[in-house]
This record gives sequence, C-alpha cells and structure tokens, in this order.
Amino acid sequence: MAVAENTLVARAPARPSRWQKVRAGFEILLRSKVALIGFVLVGFWVIVATFADDCVVQPACWVGSKDYKPTPWLAVYSPNQSTGKGLSAPGPGHWLGTDRNGRDLWARLAYGARIILTLAPLGVGVALVVGGFLGLAAGYFSGWVDEIIMRLLDAMIAFPQIILYMVIIAALGPSAANVVLAITLAGAPGIARLVRSLTLDIKTRDYVAAAQTRGESPWYIMFVEILPNASGPIIIDAMLRVGYAVFAIGTLGFLGLGLPPPSPDWGSIVNVGRKFIQAGHPWDAVWASAATAMLVVGLNLMADGLSEEMQRYR
Amino acid sequence: MIIRSGKMSQPVVKVENLAIAYETRTGDVNAVRDISFEIYRGETLGLVGESGCGKSTVAYGLVNYLGRNGKIVKGDIFFQGQSLVGKGQEELRKLRGDQISMVYQDPMTSLNPVLRIGEQMTEVLTVHRGTAQEEARTKCIEMLRRVYMPDPEKVMERYPHQISGGQQQRVVIAMAMLNNPALLVMDEPTTALDVTVEAAVLDLIADLRRDFDTAILFISHNLGVIARVSDRVGVMYAGELVELATVQEIFANPRHPYTQGLIRCLPKLGRSKASSILYPIRGRVPPPDHLPPGCVFEPRCDYARDACRAQRPPLRSLTTEQSTLHLTRCLFSEEIDAAQWTPPDGLVPQLSQVVPTDNAEPILKVSDLKTYYRHPNASPLSLIGLGRQEYVKAVDGVSFQVPRGLTLGVVGESGCGKSTLIKAIIGLEDVTGGKAEFMGFDIHRQVSHRDLAMIKELQMVFQNPDSTMNPAYTVGQQIERPLRRFKVVPRGQVREEVTRLLRAVKLDEYYYDRLPRQLSGGEKQRVGIARAFAGRPDLVLCDEPVSALDVSVQAAVLNLLLEIQKEFGTTMIFIAHDLSVVRFFSDTIAVMYLGQVVEIGLAEAIYAPPYHPYTESLLAAVPIPDPNVKQEHIRLEGSVPSPLNPPSGCRFHTRCPRRKLLPDGGQICETQVPPWQEAGDGHKILCHIPLEQLRQLEPVVQASA
Repeated sequence: MAVAENTLVARAPARPSRWQKVRAGFEILLRSKVALIGFVLVGFWVIVATFADDCVVQPACWVGSKDYKPTPWLAVYSPNQSTGKGLSAPGPGHWLGTDRNGRDLWARLAYGARIILTLAPLGVGVALVVGGFLGLAAGYFSGWVDEIIMRLLDAMIAFPQIILYMVIIAALGPSAANVVLAITLAGAPGIARLVRSLTLDIKTRDYVAAAQTRGESPWYIMFVEILPNASGPIIIDAMLRVGYAVFAIGTLGFLGLGLPPPSPDWGSIVNVGRKFIQAGHPWDAVWASAATAMLVVGLNLMADGLSEEMQRYR
Repeated sequence: MIIRSGKMSQPVVKVENLAIAYETRTGDVNAVRDISFEIYRGETLGLVGESGCGKSTVAYGLVNYLGRNGKIVKGDIFFQGQSLVGKGQEELRKLRGDQISMVYQDPMTSLNPVLRIGEQMTEVLTVHRGTAQEEARTKCIEMLRRVYMPDPEKVMERYPHQISGGQQQRVVIAMAMLNNPALLVMDEPTTALDVTVEAAVLDLIADLRRDFDTAILFISHNLGVIARVSDRVGVMYAGELVELATVQEIFANPRHPYTQGLIRCLPKLGRSKASSILYPIRGRVPPPDHLPPGCVFEPRCDYARDACRAQRPPLRSLTTEQSTLHLTRCLFSEEIDAAQWTPPDGLVPQLSQVVPTDNAEPILKVSDLKTYYRHPNASPLSLIGLGRQEYVKAVDGVSFQVPRGLTLGVVGESGCGKSTLIKAIIGLEDVTGGKAEFMGFDIHRQVSHRDLAMIKELQMVFQNPDSTMNPAYTVGQQIERPLRRFKVVPRGQVREEVTRLLRAVKLDEYYYDRLPRQLSGGEKQRVGIARAFAGRPDLVLCDEPVSALDVSVQAAVLNLLLEIQKEFGTTMIFIAHDLSVVRFFSDTIAVMYLGQVVEIGLAEAIYAPPYHPYTESLLAAVPIPDPNVKQEHIRLEGSVPSPLNPPSGCRFHTRCPRRKLLPDGGQICETQVPPWQEAGDGHKILCHIPLEQLRQLEPVVQASA
C-alpha cells in the first residue's frame, strides 16, 4: 500500500555477514590515526610473539609435547639457550645484546611477549566474565542484590591494586595461574562498576520493558537484551585493562612474584638487568622496559582512538 | 493581521537567498537553500515544517551560530539595514546579547543550574548594558512580574531546578526581553511544556510582542501553535521555503501541496474516527544530500507532472498586492485546490465503525486501583527505620471498565499518572491497592509472576521510537521473539508469520534484515506495533505511540493502528497528551488529574458540555490549527501540586477556574471529596458543581462561520 514511508528507499542490502562486521570494526580502527598507531605498536608484539618460533605450525608443540624442540623464527635464538659471551652490547650477532648468562635478549623479549600476551588478556577475560556477571546482576536487580554485591566489591576496591596482587601471589605462590587469578580479582570490581552503571542506564529503555512485558526471564533480559548494547564501552575498558595488566605482570615480575625463572618474564628481566646498569650494561633493563611501555602505550592509544570514533557515531 | 504603516518602513531582519551548508566527511551538505523572508517590527513570522526541514538551521544562521561545521554559503542577512554575513565573531556576539535574543526548546539548556536566577538575569544587564547592580536587580524583578511570574523577589533567590518547567521558560523569556531586543528568535519554545502551560506561555509571547513591538521569528512543528501566535507563516520543506503567506491565507487557502497535505493529516479537535479520516503524506522527507532534481516535494506530491521533475520551481508570488503577499514554490498553485482533492487509492484504509454491543462483557475491569511509590525520606531518622514513610501517590483510586473491541483513551498533563496506570495494568509496577481484573483473572501481580497465557494477551506499544527497538538485533529477530516465545505459530512458519506481520504494518519483506538504526522514527514505531501484535493479544496498551513522530507520519501510524485493531479485533488503551489525537482514536475517554480520573465517558460526551472544569481548561488550551476557530479563554494558574501531598477534598481545587460558581467561593471543594455525577450514557464527572450548571457552560471550541 502507498501509505508506507518506504517508497523512496532503495532495497536494503542483505544482512551483513560476520566477516563484514569484523571488517567494519577494523575500518573504524583504521579511520582514527591514534588507534592506528596503537594498533601498529600492539600488532608488532602480537606478530613477534606468534612467530617467535615454528610452534604455530607444529601441532605437536601446541599440546606441549616435551620431545618437540621448536625452531626459532623471529626470535633467532631460543630464550634459555646460552650463546656464548655474557653481557654483550647490541651488535650484529645479537641485535639487542645478551644478558649475564649469555642469553640473547631479543629472543627473551620475543618469548616474554608470548607469556605476557597470553596472561594479560586471559586475566582480563576472566575478570570480564566475573565482573560483567556481578555488574549485570547488581544493576538489573537493584535493591538488596545491588547493595550486597557492590559493598563487597567496594571493599575490594578499597585496597590498592598492587597490594592486592602481592598478597594474592605471596599467599598462593608465583605461577601463571595465580597471576591470572590476581588480575581477575583485582580487575573484576572495576568492571562490575562499569557494567552496573551501563545496565542501570539501559534497563530504562523501552525495549527492556517490552521484553519484561513478554515475560522474559531476568537472565534473558540481562544477557540478550542489555549486554550487547553495553559492549562498546566494555570493550574499550577491557583494552585499557589489558594495558594495566601488562603493567601489573611486569611489576610482579620485577618484585620477584612473577613467573619463576628461567621464564623470560619482562619484569624479571628488568629486575635482573638493573644490577648491571651501573656496570655499564643497561640493555636488559632498557629493552624490557621499553617493550612493556610500547605495549601499554599501544593498548591505550587503541582504546582512546576507538572510544573517540565510537562517540562520533552516537 | 498586521497592517504595516507604509511600505517604506525598514524590516528588522531581511534574509535574501540564504543557503547554509554543513561540512561532513562526505562533503558539504546543503541544509537550507534559497531562503528569503523579512520580519517587521511587532510582527511574528512562524516557520513550520517537519523535523529535518531546516527550520532551526535558519534560526541559528540568523545569528551565525552554526557551530564549527556550519557555514553560510550564499545569500545575505540584513539586520536593521546592516549585513551580518562576514561580520567578526566579537561583533556578532555583542549583537546577539544586545539586539537579538533567542529562546530554545529546553529552558534548562539556557539556564545555568549552579547560579541563582537573580544572578543570571542581572548579568545580562550588567554585562551588556553596564547597568549598576541594584538597578539591574530592580529591572529584573520588574521583567519577571511582566512575564506573570508569581512572587518575583523570591524567584530571584532560587536556583533553576527549584521552579517548574513553565516557570523556567518564563525566566528564559524574561531574560531574552531584558535588553528590549529588536528581534526575538524562538525555537520550539513550548514543545517541552504541557498544554495548559503552553497556552499560558503563548499568551505571554503575544502580549510581549504587542507591548515591546519586537519582531519575532517563531519556529514550531506544531501547526496549532503556529496558528495561534503568527501573523505570517512560512512553510519549510527539505530546506526550502515552499509557501509564505498570512496566517489566515495559509490555513484557509493553502496553495502548496505540502501545506495542504500537512493540514489534512492533522486530527481536528472534536472529530472522531467515524466522522473524519486522516490522510498521511506518503513517502518521507528526502535527506539533504539526496534531493530530487526537480521540485523537492515532487516524489510525494499527488499533482506531480513532468514539468515538476524538470527543474526546481522558483518562489513566486500569487498576488500582486504587497499587503497580502502569498508566495509559493509550486508551478501549479493556481490549479490545485485543497477542497477538490481526492485521496489516491490505498492511502487510507477502509474503516467501518466498530459497533459496541451494549451487553459486551468488559475485558478489563479496574476498581479503586492504587499505585504508590515509596518516597525516600530526607530525615536521618529514616535510616534506622523511624520517621514517617511518605508515598508518591501516582495512581490513587482509579476505576474504569473497557468493553471488548473498543478503545479507551486516557488524557492528562504529564505527571497525572497515566503512564503509571498502564504500567500497573501490564505488570511493570506494583499495585498498592484496589482490584484489576482482565478477562475475569486477577492481574494484580507483577508480570514476572503471571502466567505466560495471560502475558500473551496483554501487550504494549511504547512511546519513544528510538528506544522501542533493541539496537543490537534486526527487525526480523525482534518480531520473531514473541512468536517463538508465545508459540503463536509452529517453528517452521515463524519466518512466514514475520513477513505477514511486516506486511500488516506496511513494511516490505526486506525490512526483515534491517537494523533499527537504518529505520526512520515512523518505521521503528511500526515494528514496535508489529511486535506488540505478534502474539495476537486481546488488549494492547499504547503509551503515547505517536507523540514523538512528525505529523505526516503520525497520521499514517494512527491509521495503521486503527486498521490492525479492526483486523485483530483488539481492545486498546490509548494514552496521549494531545486531545485531538485521543478524540480521533478513542471510543471512550478518561481524563486524569493528579492520579485520579476526574471525568470519564464516551468520546463525544467528553468534548461537549457538561465538562469537568479540568477538561474544560484542557480543551481551552489545545492549540488548534485553524486561526478562525473561536476558543474560550481559560487558563489554569500555578502548576500541578505534588502527588506526595495531594490537596484535600477535590484535588483540582487549588487551580480550578470554576470554583467560584459554587456558594461561598467553593469552600466545600477544599474539605469534601466531590461525588461522581452521572450525566447519562456512562458519562461521569467528579465535581461538586451541579450538572445543570456545568451544562450551561459555553462550549469551549466553536468554529466561526
């Protein structure tokens, strides 16, 4: 019938596929110069970590088989292999020099990136699940649920994060799993607060009321109606948090609470290297600090650029 | 109408071939093109048009306040003889403060929330005029008195949030008038206000114009408001001025198809769906970067011919005489006659009147329904459970019945409890007391405790098109959900049923994969309607479903609702603040004030005497899009009292203009709750004034011959 207002509108294209959505996401990323620089910085370490050795193409390596000895690719050397002279300055043989034990610093950084780029996102991911769930429940149910959840989380926020990390690691011992746990416990309250405030806003929208008048369960409304619409700010916040987590892992490593040696942990590289700064060999400390800074700055720039672009589309 | 003393006098503002563009990523977009008009002293020029037609851009362009990406690309603006285009920012800033004032839609955007009203007002004088503090203060109080602000000295000491919305707008207007500006630009100044407040503000604007001899540019999307305040009216469409004439001419003898269409799609006050039809304008306003090559209105015009497509018609004069200048941008204005117009096929649905059967069992019975909100107590005692608990009585003792297949309209100003009422019925709010029965079942519990079968029969259409749909899912997914949830059709037929529903709301099948952000407001509202009707409910509650839509779209959505209602035989409760829309849509109407129903009855009965005094003042306040209609002048004083502590006796007694009809000034109204008086045919009025006396009152709205 002619009443429809759509007479002027051309036929709609088919619904965007998942691939197109991903591409659209990247387009936003590339449109902002700030985000692009961040993307390059982070991308550098992602590539280095992925292709440090041939592990990515060897299924035997994925399952952690002891017999398999990976061949270094980008890393050139293996991280724990002593290659002769210790404490050498950067040069053609060893781009970034070697440490006290004669291990190649570039190889250690490359393998260290692997650790940090696994643990940080993993920790934040678990924190997202826990914090997101608590925040949704607190925001949606309000009342007593909200009071109890938020007061408990407030109590956790009251502790300085670094102390929280140290207490957890000191109590449970240094290991990869405990580092993830520490990041989760320290990050979840902040995420819960963010998700709660987003939920409080979104639950007043009419489409939530429409779902309620359909008699949908609270869980359906929280996860299907509310969560997808809160995802933008959550993603940006998570990106910043991965940055903080990188920092935190570095700090723990520096304090000797990170992964036990001989893991090529960036923090512990700085810690070991700092003893040789005055001896005229600052390279351990310099490179590991620079790598940490590069990754954190990159993540921050990406988050900044993204949030700017998203705001423009409001 | 203004008779100008000699054509020699200089216009206050004269706009010549103005074109304004906004810079965007994809290049410059021309928001308005080729606008010319002039405004003389003591004259109001109304600019009317749907949203996105460039009305506000013109207003901002006048004072070159276009923001970072806006610029005047062509034309000139003369303010009292001197050109404004190309003037420096500093000069313009002085001019804006000194000679040109603006009033915007939302008063809170013009008032600084952290400064007292007195400080903000005196600043205008001390900064721009260099007036001494004391003198400025006296002048401000005088001006507040001038805008009929009660107790101006006290108001000067208050912060903006401590006074009501209508009062805030008065303060803004008073501030605008302080410098005695030559030009006052008002951009939708009453859109955010209730009808009764709006009527008072419009009166005020008319008074001020007369007393100060100011030129006013008045922008509104509401034809009724424009008809009330303007001397001349300019109709804007897609960034162009398509018609300009005196207010009488525009409404009596519109000569552009768009103007004619706008007037046709408005429900007339006092007309019902049986006696009148709304004719929507098909299509929608083209976006400014995709304009048709010829006449901008051509794609939606019923008279379009080849000549219209060939070139853009110029703005030409239909009369030679200067005093009744009538400009139009249509090539065939002389030929088209609004009275001769016949609707094209399929523009309006064929509607036959639903005949209510007298013995029909009411589908919904509500008696003495109460919904109270707990009010947080400020006293520290309440922290430990002591202190008096206070309640906001949002709905307080409402009773009515809705017969199957009919529509109950609920009207009232904002804050009267109409939204809370339907939220309580649908189960989104707790019921504090009273009874509500739906098809014989108790529906007193929240929706989460109700049976799925019951939930399916009770659905709702929401007000805000931008939030009625979840932005994360496609149209199809959102209509599918209730189908799957209520198991309306077998799994395999869901897609088919969605297509059928989309067709029922006049959307094509390919809308299935659209995301909400790709739809216009009207389309979103249609999807919202499809979703509500998906479960084939028996009762649909509509919470102001058209109030956020443009008039042409509003007409289409109203027609659609009527058509679907007929097809499904659905019963509806329809809430709106617009009395003409409610009248058009409803069979019975309930008028609410401060949580109570004060009058209820058949629609015809509500709009003719005897009225409840509140209904009477509402009717007197409705802006009617016809300057020839005679409307009784009744204005309510003060604002709606707080529902925390409603007045004793009759709740309306604090503002009632008819109280003096009773002996000793209506003492009884303050002390005793008024009785329900039966005026026959189920028409009931909650008032102390005897029916005979109410019957003798003049009808509020009378069409003049």
